[in-house]
Amino acid sequence: MENIGFILATYIATFVGSFFLAAYYLRRGNRLAEQLPPEDKPWI
Amino acid sequence: MAVTQNHITGTANPSANLSANSADQGAAIEPARRRRRSATGTPFTFALGVATIVSMALLVLFGLLLSPPDVTQGESVRILYIHVGTVWVAYVAFGVTAIASALFLWKRTTSLTWDRIAGASAEVGVLFMALTLFAGSLWGRLSWGKFWVWDARVTTTAFLFITYIGYLAVRGLGGSHQQRGRRSAVVALLAVLEIPLVHFSVELWRGLHQEASVAGSTKVQLENLMLFSLFLALIAFTLLFVWLVIHRQRVLAMQDALEDKGLDYALAARQAESMPATERVTTHASQEGTA
Repeated sequence: MENIGFILATYIATFVGSFFLAAYYLRRGNRLAEQLPPEDKPWI
Repeated sequence: MAVTQNHITGTANPSANLSANSADQGAAIEPARRRRRSATGTPFTFALGVATIVSMALLVLFGLLLSPPDVTQGESVRILYIHVGTVWVAYVAFGVTAIASALFLWKRTTSLTWDRIAGASAEVGVLFMALTLFAGSLWGRLSWGKFWVWDARVTTTAFLFITYIGYLAVRGLGGSHQQRGRRSAVVALLAVLEIPLVHFSVELWRGLHQEASVAGSTKVQLENLMLFSLFLALIAFTLLFVWLVIHRQRVLAMQDALEDKGLDYALAARQAESMPATERVTTHASQEGTA
């Protein structure tokens, strides 16, 4: 496959970027949740 | 019950409550079990996450392996599925930001939840706009021989990206939540006006960027499997967008709650710490009784 490096770089950057944003949100959410009582987390 | 007690006393480890009494044991283990899952997640977001991962895996399969190369662009057309998918999400995200901002400003529907949805959506939109520019520059290198050209579409897209970084900066300015909401909502309603300019820039000005591949005025013929891969990309990225915005909105809600009541919780934790251990157990037992 020609230009494989460019194509893979696009896919990898997109998935890695999305993964890190998702991981950041989950981690931040867990940290904040430890400091708050359940009434401040109505979705639980 | 033990969950509340754990937060008020500021106990880091929920198992610290295990020695209180046997009734506490089961209740104290419960948050530990719950902690294994995301604090911002629900069964719905879990299902959404699974659907996102499955659709992304299918996108990789179809985008990289099963869809055919293009007649003129060859294999580099595979970047299309990422490029169009990410810019679609960025447009949707900025549209959601504008709608949520309008709902926040409208007196009948005003709620800080709309403001948080607007902020969460803009944040995700900025990430996807950055990925669009990155994918576009790599594709441009293959198609035009340059990573960057001052083409109308490329330039207006970069300008839109910078505008929403500005929007996020405005959200980070000081003031109350209401002030933040009003200020950023006005910026969002002005910023969204750029989207039609970006979208129609390829028709308004002559440039290197091609017109829309599917719904454009030009007759671009996409092979069936290519078309399927493109729609798969739109679905996969939309699912990812919804998942990210739900989680981010909940993180922002907790952040706001902590800013509002953080001092109260810290004082309650200090008071609880200063109480003798026996008194704490008695208080806890009496709370259990009244509950």
